[in-house]
This record gives sequence, C-alpha cells and structure tokens, in this order.
Amino acid sequence: MDAIIQLIHVSKWHDRKAALSDVTLEIEKGEFVLLMGSSGAGKSTLLRMLFGEEQPDEGQIFVHGRNVTRLRPTEIPYLRRKVGAVSQDFRLLPKKSVFDNVALPLLVQGMPEKDIRRKVTEALRAVDVDHNKDQLPNSLSTGEQQRVCIARAIVNGPVVLLADEPTGNLDPEHTREIMELFKLINARGTTVIVATHDPHVLHHVNRRVITLVQGVLLSERRIGQGVGL
Amino acid sequence: MRRLYYLVREAWANMRTNRTTTIVAVLTTAFTLACVGIFLLLYMNLRQAAGSLQEDVKLMVYLEDRLRGERVQELERKLKADRMVAQVFFISKEQALGEFRAQFPGESHLLEGLGENPLPASFVVTLAPSFRSPDAMRGWVERVQTMAGVAKVDYNQEWLSLLAELIRYIEMAAIGVGILLSAAAVTIIGNTIRLALLARREEIEILRSIGATRTFIRIPYFLEGAVLGACGSALSLGILKVAFELFRQQIQLTGRFSGIEAMLSFFPLSVCLALVLAGMGLGFAGSVVSLLRVGEGRT
Repeated sequence: MDAIIQLIHVSKWHDRKAALSDVTLEIEKGEFVLLMGSSGAGKSTLLRMLFGEEQPDEGQIFVHGRNVTRLRPTEIPYLRRKVGAVSQDFRLLPKKSVFDNVALPLLVQGMPEKDIRRKVTEALRAVDVDHNKDQLPNSLSTGEQQRVCIARAIVNGPVVLLADEPTGNLDPEHTREIMELFKLINARGTTVIVATHDPHVLHHVNRRVITLVQGVLLSERRIGQGVGL
Repeated sequence: MRRLYYLVREAWANMRTNRTTTIVAVLTTAFTLACVGIFLLLYMNLRQAAGSLQEDVKLMVYLEDRLRGERVQELERKLKADRMVAQVFFISKEQALGEFRAQFPGESHLLEGLGENPLPASFVVTLAPSFRSPDAMRGWVERVQTMAGVAKVDYNQEWLSLLAELIRYIEMAAIGVGILLSAAAVTIIGNTIRLALLARREEIEILRSIGATRTFIRIPYFLEGAVLGACGSALSLGILKVAFELFRQQIQLTGRFSGIEAMLSFFPLSVCLALVLAGMGLGFAGSVVSLLRVGEGRT
C-alpha cells in the first residue's frame, strides 16, 4: 500500500522542551489511526505539522507526496484543501448559517455555486444535519456542532482527515456517534487520524493505535495484534 | 459570483460591525483631506489667475525718438520674424499722445507745456503662449533691449515674478501638507482596519485552516480601506464645495475684490473623480499597512 503520510526523524521543541522527539512513522492511504496520549504528549503538535501550521525543527514530513517542510507559505493553503481538520472547539463562524459554514472551503476555492450547493447538501446529509442547514451554529447541540464541523472538513473530499480531540466536549453517546461517523468517512476512502487522550474511544475503534508519551512514540499497535515497536 | 458576493459582504459586515469606528474614520479622513483640498484649490485658482494674467501680458518696446520710417519698419520685420513673438502692434508718437489724452483727460495740459510730443513710439508685443513664462520673457526682453533703435522694453516683470514665486510656495506647501495629511489619513484608516482585523482574528484563523489564500483573506480588508478612503475623499469634496460657495457668496456680499469671484472656480469633475480615486488609494494603502503590521496572511 502507499504511504499517504510519512514522518522521518521529526523533532520539535517548544521553549527548549521537546514536544516531539525523533518521531518516525508511516500512515497508509485509507488507514484509520488513533493517536493516543495524555495532554502535552505531542499529539496536537504532530497534527499541526501535518496541516502546515507548524514546522519541525528536525526531520521531514510528507503528506500526499508533498514535503510539507519545504512548502512555500503560498502553497500551504493548497495543502489544507487536501487535508480536512476537525477540532474540539468546532471553530464554526457564529454569524453564518450551517450551510454557509460548510460551504466556506468550497467558496475559497472558487467553486461554481451549483456545485457548492450540491456538495454542501451531500456533506450535511452524510453527517445527518441537513435539516439544520439554515440555523446558526450556536442554536445547535454540541454533538450537532461537531457534525457541522466534520461536514465542513469533508465537503471538498480531502484525502486525509485530522481530528484533534474531536470528542473532548461530547458525552459518551455523542462520542460514539462521532466515532461511527469517522469510521463511515474512512470507509469511503479518506485516511482518518484521530488524536485523543480518552481511552474510551478505543471501545469504538478497533484500528491502528499510536501512543505518544512526552513527545516520544512509545508504541504502535493494531487492536488485537499486540504491541509493536 | 458567490465568491465575489462573499468578499463584498464580508467587507460590508466589517464596516457594520465596527460602525462607530468606521464613521469616525470617514469623518476624520474627510477633514484631513479637506485640509489638503484647501491648498489644492488655492493652488489651482492661483495658477489659473496667473495663467490668465500672463495671457494678457503685453511687452512695450519703446523706440528711440530719432528712429524714423524705414528703420522702424525694419525693426517691426525683425520682431515679427522672431519665433517667440505672436503679435506686434505699432503705436506711433501721435497715437500714444491721443491715447494719453483719452485716458487722462484731466492731465493732458501737462504735456502741452512741453511743446513737442514727449511720448515715444512703441511696439506692443505679445509673446507666443509657450514663451510666456517669466524666465522666457526676461530672456526675450534682455535680447530685444540690445537691438539698435530700442530705447527701453517695459513689462510688469516684478509682479509676475512675485506671483510665480507665490505659486511655487503654495505648490510646495500643498505637496508638504498633502504628504503629511495623506500619511495621517493612511494611519487613521489603517487603525480602523486593524481594529476590524483584531475583532475577526478567530474568523481569519478559521479561514486559514480551511485553505483560504492570503489574498482571499485580505480582499475584504482592502475593499474596506478603499471604501473608507473613497467616502472620506468624497465627503471632503462636499465640505470644500460648501466652504467654497460660502466664501464666494461672502465676497459678493461685501463687494470687496469685485471681479475676483468670477475668476474663482471649484475643481472640475475630472479632478473631483481623481481626488476620490486618490482617497481610495490612500485607504487601500492604510489596509496594506495595517495588514502588514498585524502580520495577517502569514500561513
């Protein structure tokens, strides 16, 4: 299989403290990966690097064949159009309707209006919030807001979906629903990486698990396959 | 189309969200640009006045008394052949006397006592339009004064030089004040945009995270700056026009400087449009400055 993400001896320091230390890993196309670790383990730093928001101090990162560490600032927006991002705090625009929020990634790409309408409707339907499309985000429940956030991340068909603590603000029931949604998105061919500190998430996902501890890649295993590394 | 609509709507939303700041920015820009406008208006009117005065400037070439017939005609031919000369008109001694009597009927007895007509014959010379600058005139006068048979060349040089100097000072003041106050306008608009940027910091972060380019993020702020500048400039023209009309009315009412009010004119439409465009440019510059200062658009 092809590696869609490659980290080669990646290190990053924040205020002289190692956020990531000599991390090397490969994620293949279509994989579902759980990135586990407590707060400060380096999960978010790793995701931010895959997204071009931070650069490593050492090492190389490849995403979908592009060396992210060598991208010019003007090329980063185009990387982000291939990599969807979901965050714990949803980051929705409060004064725009659900439809407009989800349409935004297509709008910045200059997609024709007809296609925007079609794709947004499909994305909203996929996450089951199409009936809320005219509402403002704040009038929705947290679970629904997270679904809108996911719809926005998948609306332009990204090759990779990064989710940083996506269930951090959700109750167990909504957590299960959101993880099922990620599995569905993954089943359609998108590589999904979910960073979480919540071990309960493992109950819903029996895939590859990468554990980080204080910036070090501690273990890599597939559920039911024992511990690697 | 939807993209364009989005960008315009965002710019409008920015202005509406920070309504008070927007109004204050437009008003302060308007008064700032009105100050520049006063100098421009003064400069434009003085240049026009100087231009029309220079159109009327006639150079008097007085001839020596002994000069007669053929030599006068020869001098006239020479003057007419000069490429700097547009028109030559001869006034004989008799015509000069006649004109003096017509203009000063009360004083004509003064000349009678002298017996012989003391007034010299002269040529009234009008220079071609491209040679009516004070320097060109001075050069021409110096040259003609050395010609044989010419007693003196007279024109109101001092007054023209003074006017030219005054115009130069006003031009310099207009440039200086213009630069200073334009910088002030850029700062005022820049600060307004900066406030808008800070208020929408989170929104900008979201846009960046979904793959918006630097240009896409910046366009609404550029539009906002340009609109603020254009509105400020248009309002400053309105203020100037009102002040200008009041000034003209005042001159008419007092009766002083009669005739001047007919010479005064406001900016023509093309200049007004150019000033609005200049205001737009200043506003745009303000946006650029604030975006650079806040560091927006860095990915």
